[in-house]
Amino acid sequence: MKKSGVLIALSSANRAFEFRNPLQKRVKYQGKYVDIKLREDPDGFSYIVWKNKKYMLDVIEKNQNRYTIMINGVWYSFTVETPFSFKRRKRLDKEGNSSARVAIEAPMPGKIIEILVEEGADVKEGEPILILEAMKMQNEIASHVKGTVRSVSVKKNDTVMKDDVLMDIQIS
Amino acid sequence: MKINSILIANRGEIAIRIIRTARRMGITTFVIKTDKEPNAWYLDEADQVIDFTEKLNDIPEFMDIERIIDNARRYQVDAIHPGYGFLAENPGFARRCEEENIIFIGPSHEIIYQMGHKTIAKDLARKQKVPLLDGSEGSVTGSEEARKMADRIGYPVILKASAGGGGRGMRVVEREKDMDRMFNLASKEAEKAFGNAEIFIERFVRDPRHIEFQILADKHGHVVHLGERECSIQRKHQKLLEESPSPALTPTLRKKMGDAAVRIARSVNYYSAGTVEFLLDEDNHFYFMEMNTRIQVEHPVTEMVTGIDLIEQMIRIAEGEELPFSQKEIRLNGWAIEFRINAEDVQSGFSPSLGTIEKISWPEDEHVRVDTGVRDGSLITPYFDSLIAKLIIHAEDREKALHVASLAIRKFWIKGTRTTLAFCRAVLQNRNFRKGKFNTSFLSNELKIHYHHEPEEEMLAAFFAVYDYAREIHEHEDKLLYAEKGKEINPWLLKKRLR
Repeated sequence: MKKSGVLIALSSANRAFEFRNPLQKRVKYQGKYVDIKLREDPDGFSYIVWKNKKYMLDVIEKNQNRYTIMINGVWYSFTVETPFSFKRRKRLDKEGNSSARVAIEAPMPGKIIEILVEEGADVKEGEPILILEAMKMQNEIASHVKGTVRSVSVKKNDTVMKDDVLMDIQIS
Repeated sequence: MKINSILIANRGEIAIRIIRTARRMGITTFVIKTDKEPNAWYLDEADQVIDFTEKLNDIPEFMDIERIIDNARRYQVDAIHPGYGFLAENPGFARRCEEENIIFIGPSHEIIYQMGHKTIAKDLARKQKVPLLDGSEGSVTGSEEARKMADRIGYPVILKASAGGGGRGMRVVEREKDMDRMFNLASKEAEKAFGNAEIFIERFVRDPRHIEFQILADKHGHVVHLGERECSIQRKHQKLLEESPSPALTPTLRKKMGDAAVRIARSVNYYSAGTVEFLLDEDNHFYFMEMNTRIQVEHPVTEMVTGIDLIEQMIRIAEGEELPFSQKEIRLNGWAIEFRINAEDVQSGFSPSLGTIEKISWPEDEHVRVDTGVRDGSLITPYFDSLIAKLIIHAEDREKALHVASLAIRKFWIKGTRTTLAFCRAVLQNRNFRKGKFNTSFLSNELKIHYHHEPEEEMLAAFFAVYDYAREIHEHEDKLLYAEKGKEINPWLLKKRLR
């Protein structure tokens, strides 16, 4: 059991990436052996060597099995699932208790100046959903996923703390 | 008068940038320490630190004219360099320095005032026969007059704050029926942002390029320009990438625009470094916009192609020296591009990304210059702008510069915060950008996705998440399951844990 087993990273857009034996030298991805080399340079940066290219990586957020990984300056969010929890998730999704929801959180403390979308609205990736004033700057907060606004947790003139949930978006 | 000491009324990368040149010139530097970033790097680089951590009033530290002047007197500094932002273009600050016999490293307060007031600056340009966009001479009194003016110029028109800048208090009016509403909005915004509700009106140019000329002028009437900077890659009037020269300019056009910039500077007896901004339309007609009377964030691209240290020249001009070169002697060598690396989340609409810079590194190379105010462990606070670093590439031509830039950005590593690096990659990948065909609408019309990623990166990121998770469980198991040495691992316990 040690160092082996299957784990699945499920992206916020519901794409599943299945790996077997991630801690071992020979890693299987979607059933096939792949040559992924994980290294750390003397400065403490982690990087992957993949097809003769270096990719700088960093765990920028981690909360139990929820991960946000930065690679070459772009971030991706995943939940890490075992085959068992993955099946359960899929079953729950089918039953309509869709878990493919993403919470948009406040990147910094501030005051809500304007809410730009309503519940039920469809949003595109990168579309501004509200304006947050922090340190006298008005910042547009955008959705990082495409989907439908399921709930809006704040209202105009609310003050929020960092990481407070602003909206829930169901991914489409 | 020789300057022996400078108080830098600024922070971050520009404070360090000024310190570097001052140190080379044998000048003692003073900086201001605030409680907002008491461990910032610039404090270690300066010779002396003036402590502003104790709050005396509600004025932000770098805006507190009297406190800065008091300390300049107490420490008997010869001169103050304001950097950019904060008090750099505040005529009141320059005047207080003049009154106290402290050299303000910049132009006189009168010049700052004239250029800061957009309608006065436009009048000066008009007298010099520099092309201007058709519009009001001076401010308009109300939406009634604005409507009459717009009828004459033709829609669309743009309303701008007379005392403004930086995109605030600006409104585009497409149709007559929108005028009243837009006028009120612009005027209110101008009042709020600049304490002055005056508005002027101009013909609106769709999708122009933003081209600016660097000026150097001494106190003896010599004025030169150091070529242009192409600053069209912007998001909401915030520049993100600048280059020198501009792919849009021919030598003839450069000469014409450069001459116009010099005429404007001459008309106010300008001295110090300054920047004359123009819009350039599709038909290569240029129009004077405004003059900035400070060192600009993007000054390094000009330094790279001219080989001239602009901070050094500002100091020497302030000392009363004559410019050591004439226009004829200025050569533009090769191509320089600056990428602004900001602590912003491009994937969430460029929202600020706070945190700690755990690690930062970049490739050292003869083509690469990095101006930064952060190092490992630096905090990104919400109190100041989001600029982390400026990556400046210099090569023989644009193609080579773009190539070097792609490689350098791949090796520019920052751990701990989200940055605009992925945006820089996206711009570099864009075919029209590579061809030099772009304007200020590039982000809204051309670059549909504001960050670049390679197809397999998500899979590799997924692997990293899985790896990290597996390793944690593995370490956890080691602690729990191997507490009794030699005992076989309990598969049921492990299975439960994995769930």
